[in-house]
Parts: sequence; structure tokens; C-alpha cells
Amino acid sequence: MMLRTIPLVLKQITRSPIRSGLTVGGIAIAMFLFCFVEAMRDGVGEATNASAEDATLIVYRQNRYCPFTSKLPQYYGDRIEEIEGVTSAVPVQITVTNCRASLDVVTFRGVPVGELEDVLEPGWRIADGSLAEWRTRGDGALIGEAMANRRGIGVGDRFSAAGITVYVAAILESDAAQDRNVSYVQLPFLQETLKTGGTGGVVTQFSVRVDDPLVMEEVARAIDSEFRYDEHPTSTSSEKAFVGRAARDIIEIVGFATWLGWGALVTVFALVANAIVLAMRDRIRDHAVLQTLGFTGGLIGFMVVFEGAVLGIVGGGIGTLAAWGIARVGHFSMTMGGTNIEISSNPMLLVLGIALAVALGILAGVVPAWRVSRREIAHSFRTV
Amino acid sequence: MTLIRCDKLTRVYQGGVEEIRPLDELDLAIDRGQFVALMGPSGSGKTTLLNLLAGIDRPTSGRLVIDDQSIGELSRNELAAWRADHVGYVFQLYNLVPVLNAYENVELPLLLKPMSQRERHERVSAALEVVGIADRHAHYPRQLSGGQEQRVAIARAIVTEPTLLLADEPTGDLDKASATAVMELLKRLNQEQGRTIVMVTHDTTTAEYADLLLHLEKGRLLEKEEAST
Ligand SMILES: Nc1ncnc2c1ncn2[C@@H]1O[C@H](COP(=O)(O)OP(=O)(O)O)[C@@H](O)[C@H]1O
Ligand SMILES: [Mg+2]
Repeated sequence: MMLRTIPLVLKQITRSPIRSGLTVGGIAIAMFLFCFVEAMRDGVGEATNASAEDATLIVYRQNRYCPFTSKLPQYYGDRIEEIEGVTSAVPVQITVTNCRASLDVVTFRGVPVGELEDVLEPGWRIADGSLAEWRTRGDGALIGEAMANRRGIGVGDRFSAAGITVYVAAILESDAAQDRNVSYVQLPFLQETLKTGGTGGVVTQFSVRVDDPLVMEEVARAIDSEFRYDEHPTSTSSEKAFVGRAARDIIEIVGFATWLGWGALVTVFALVANAIVLAMRDRIRDHAVLQTLGFTGGLIGFMVVFEGAVLGIVGGGIGTLAAWGIARVGHFSMTMGGTNIEISSNPMLLVLGIALAVALGILAGVVPAWRVSRREIAHSFRTV
Repeated sequence: MTLIRCDKLTRVYQGGVEEIRPLDELDLAIDRGQFVALMGPSGSGKTTLLNLLAGIDRPTSGRLVIDDQSIGELSRNELAAWRADHVGYVFQLYNLVPVLNAYENVELPLLLKPMSQRERHERVSAALEVVGIADRHAHYPRQLSGGQEQRVAIARAIVTEPTLLLADEPTGDLDKASATAVMELLKRLNQEQGRTIVMVTHDTTTAEYADLLLHLEKGRLLEKEEAST
């Protein structure tokens, strides 16, 4: 019985195309906004939420937040490696086209040729090109896949940014947002180009692996106390915490945008509710006719709720797919202080967006449906 | 054989301070197969009575039995099911659903029946054929004339083969020619298919099609006269 009314509801929707179109369009825009905000939040979460396997510490110059100003002597590396619990300490020189919060910043990370594997997050692989070529070519660059996609660059290309020109030797695939969005080059090459180097030169930070994730904080404290009275005191934190600090502006903006996301959901609810309330007013007579024909109040209520659900699924589907598709194709990344926060294109966002839109559509239909189902037929006929 | 029996049928509305009593202890019996015209001045309770007979309103007191079913004893949902099985209702203003075409409007009440699409199709086509509007089955209400709309509405009312066909001023909004066509149709349904019809009208020409005239005034039956046939 209920199934037979479904075509009826669909006809109600499709045969008032302007009204339905406006409602669906509004829902789509609101859900687009919501999903984009969620995609940013997802990216922030991925970049900053610590997980149990994290075993990487970043040693930075104390009170500095930009790669241009964080300067540490390269020989600190040897001293860090002597601290108990440290597996490796790789000096990393970072240079960026822009230190402030922005989109599409190019980040170069210079690492010693032999120590690349110690810096990359586990689980990486080479998607294209060869690591051997990266090792042998002084100006070779290993480019993260998201950055390569965003910039449209491939193996064999030359590419310049921030006054540095590199040869793309390989493309890196990784589960870590940071590695997907940077360009690894050889440390001496970067130091040379930036004229900050020479032997025993200066680097931006150290990437430190600890042998047991449980002792991360202890090791971090040990490192900072080692250099406390040095000329260049350090500030050491887990990589996720470091991103949280370096990209704090972005995180704050995204936090604020969360309100926007909630607002978008409220908008979806209001749009569906408005469309349904107006439709109910228009259809007092139609509903009374259906009831006269023997449709029960419950069945008519179901039709109303179902209409809300359809509006939600269509509008939500369009908006969510559009947001997700754009994030997927665009490989956007928000960058600040040399750290990257991706705009996620996790398929779960699709599921979440559509499910929420449907839920809101149903919710918006419930009260009107309940009221419609309780109308007295004879009374309805007299009021229209 | 009595199809409808009203005993002291009363309907009271709470209209502000004073109560309105459109039906006041009405006694009435209508036989199966009769064509009844219900006449009376405006506000005399004709629509109220028809709505009670249709099961879309409930008596305040008294008893209404149709086809051995006491209407007052049915729950909301039981009453809805009863309407689907027993009643066809024709309104003065047709009341077709505007977003559905003629065919879909007629099909509506069949959606509640355990019937295949094919069966529904046969029934709808037959009903449209009976009212002489089969060639307009794909037209929307706004594309039909008043007379055509009313014929579609009649098709919708008879497609379920109801026990009782009720019509509230079915020609009230039609020009003379259309009105005649609609009345001829109702007469045919009564005579050829044996449908029991209760029709409200205040037009004497229309009333002549019926074989029993009832005059209602202030909620009571004035007189009962056999129409000259
Ligand atoms: N739901 C209602 N509430 C209050 N008064 C009503 C209601 N329905 C009908 N009435 C009143 O009952 C009286 C009879 O109405 P009705 O049966 O429509 O008369 P008729 O159809 O004979 O013109 C009128 O005075 C009308 O105002
Ligand atoms: Mg009336």
C-alpha cells in the first residue's frame, strides 16, 4: 500500500518543477557548504589527531613558527641521536613559497640523501619514477601525489617555486597528509640554493623517530632540556601537535566554519519544512479527497514524510556529490608554516552528507505529516 | 431492501458560543438501488447528512446503519477502509487532484485495493469508457472543461464499484448542456448498474432525474415524495 503511494509522491514533486527545483537547489547549496566544511574538518582531524602508532617528533626552534625563522645548527642531530629512545634524527631544511595560511603553497623539504626513509611516514610507496634517480640527481625532487595532481606535474618535468628549480624524479604516494603535499629534495641542494648552508650548516627542524610511541613525551622533554641553555633552544612535539601549532590559524578558521556547517544543516531543515508546510496548505483539499477515497491519515502522513525524504536525498545528493567531487578532483590543501592540511575527499563524507540530508528531510516532514494525518475531512472541505 | 437507515441521527457543531445543529434527530431509510434527490434551502444540513452517509463525518448522537454496518462504531482507520469499499463521492467542484491526469485521478482509489496494475488498468479504462471520456485520459484537470472534469470525478467515484454513490450538487457549477450530460450519466448508472445514489441539489430540473425526493429543512425531513417517472 505504502509502496503504491510512492509514484504519487514523485509525481507531486516532479509536476511542480519550479517549487521543487528551488527547494532542491537550496538544499544542494546548503549541503555543499556543509560537506565542504566537513571536508576541511576531516583534513584538520587527519593532520592533527594523534594516533597510537605515531612515533615522529619534530624539533623546532623555540618560539618560532615559520620555516624562514626557525634555524637550528645541523650538528644538533648528532646530539639528539644520543638521547635515549631516539632511533634517528634527520635534519630537514624547509622552504615555502608563503608562510601564512593559504592554499596551494609549495613546500620543499631538504633531507640528507641517505636518510629519506627515516623521515617518510611508514606505508609510503613510489607511484611513478624512481628513488634511485632522486638519489643521484642533485636537483631531483620527490613530489607528493596530491601536490603533483594539484599542480599537474609528472616525472621528468622541471618545476620552479620559491626561486628553486627542481627536476621531478619520482612521485610519492602516502597515507600521511604531510607527505602527500610536499616536495622532498636533497638537503645540500636546498641549503646551497638558499645560501644558508655550507658544511655543518643550518636546518629548519629535525625529524626524530623514537623507538617506542609510549615514550614520545619523555623523549621530547629530554631533547628540549638538552638544548635549554644553548644558543638555539628547541621546542619539541609530536608531528601532529606540531601541525596543530603551526597551522593554528587554519584550524581556528575551520573551527569557526564548523558553525557555518551547522547553519547549513539548519538551512536544509528550514527549506524542507517550508516547502512541506506550503505544500500542505495548498493540498488541504487534495488530502481531504484522498481521505474520502479511503486513504488513512497514516498513509497520507507517510506520503508527506516520504516527500521530505526525497527532497532531502535529491538536494543532499547533488550538494554532497558536488562538494566531494570538487575536493577529490582539486586535491586542495591549506598550508601554513610549512605544514599541510588537506581538504579531505573521504567517501564517508558522501555517506554522512546524504544520510544527514535525508534525516533532516524526514524530520522536517514529521510534524506536518502528523498534523495532516489528524485532519477532519469534512472540516478540511469547509476551509478551502 | 433497506440499504441506509438513520435513527434520530444528530450532528451538532460547537460554533462559538451557541451550538449549531445542522441535523436534528433525523429518521430516514433508503432502499438499495434507489436514486434519491435531497433538496432544501442553503444551510439546511444537506451536505452534513451526505458527509455522514459518506463516513467522512461522524454523528453526534443517533444511529446510522449502512449495508448492515453501524458507522458510529468504526474506528478512524476502519472507517477509512469502509469508505474505500462502500462509498463513491462526487463533489460540486469535482475535486480532482491537479497534478494527476484523468487516468491517474480515476486510478487513485484502486491503489488501496489488492489489485495488479493490469487489473487496475482494465477497471480505469472501463470507468472512463462509461463516463465517455476515454479519449481524454491523459489530460490534466486544467485541460478539461467543467463537465469533463465532473465526468472524470464520477468515473473515480464508481471505479471501485461502491455500494453507495453520493453526489453533492454535482451540476451546481455546470452549464445546462454539461449538467444534462452528467445527470443522464447518473441516471444510467442507477438504472443499468443498479447503483444506489443519494444526490444533493437545489435545482428542480436536476431533481427530476431521481425517483425519490427528500426535503430537508432545519435538520429535519419535511416530506417524502415519489417522483413522477
Ligand atoms: N464544521 C462546522 N462547524 C460549524 N458549523 C458547521 C460546520 N459544518 C456545517 N456547519 C453549519 O451547519 C449548517 C448546515 O450546513 P450544510 O450541511 O453545509 O448545509 P447545506 O449543505 O444544506 O447548505 C450551516 O449552518 C453550517 O454553517
Ligand atoms: Mg451544501
